[in-house]
Amino acid sequence: MEAKLKQRPSALEATAAPGAFERHAWTWMRISGVLLIPLVWIHTLLQDVIVGVHAIDVNYVAARWANLGWRIFDVFLLGFAFAHGMNGVRQVAFEYIHSPRARRITAGVIFALWLVISAIGAIALIGGVNQEFPLQQQ
Amino acid sequence: MSSLRTTLAGYVGYRGREGHWGFLLHRITGLGVVLFLAIHIVDTALVYFNPALYMEAIRIYQSTLFGIAEVFLVFCIIYHGINGLRVAFFDLIAPSAWAIYRQRVSVRWTLILTLILWIPASIRMLSNLIEHNF
Repeated sequence: MEAKLKQRPSALEATAAPGAFERHAWTWMRISGVLLIPLVWIHTLLQDVIVGVHAIDVNYVAARWANLGWRIFDVFLLGFAFAHGMNGVRQVAFEYIHSPRARRITAGVIFALWLVISAIGAIALIGGVNQEFPLQQQ
Repeated sequence: MSSLRTTLAGYVGYRGREGHWGFLLHRITGLGVVLFLAIHIVDTALVYFNPALYMEAIRIYQSTLFGIAEVFLVFCIIYHGINGLRVAFFDLIAPSAWAIYRQRVSVRWTLILTLILWIPASIRMLSNLIEHNF
């Protein structure tokens, strides 16, 4: 359907018929957003406000990730927060970019960034703190 | 590019009062948080890939400049969360309440609630910063 468009569609045309994907993305932003309230707020309250960045180091991360519960918490945090955020970037970008081709390229770049950065985070979450690092420094 | 100019001009020129401010603030805070989040995932992943470099990154976060930026980051997280909850509530539970008066009142309450949560958090973070950096 998109490929048949010969002229550059206007902003109104580009947003007129979102289709199933956009409908699901719309719902996803609201559901994940509600879930992110406890996930992000607990994380921020603990790390930024209560513990504080001056008390955070490799040992702190190692101690926290020694607890499987916190590691699972961080898996959900990574999965929901970054997917919510990158889909938000896509939605904002689509308000400025209207041609189907440019939208495909933009969505591809955002998807690739999401995939690579999520994978980096997931590898670290599974791998944990690298114990080969000399932990004797306090 | 012309559509970008049109959109940005619309952002400044549109006079929707509370709804307009609520929307703009949601967008700015959202983009701010996701930019930090992308950096933050990578810097935290350094505990696995290069722990010595992780300590370097943490030292940067402990600087006064980043400490002040952190206070604004927490504002973004609180506002985006409350306003997002507001939007989700109207969209999913009470769509009939998408009326100008309800929106104006709810945006004002969103800002008040944000400040109530943000101010004590800021005081604690800033006193922590002053204690360690000065």
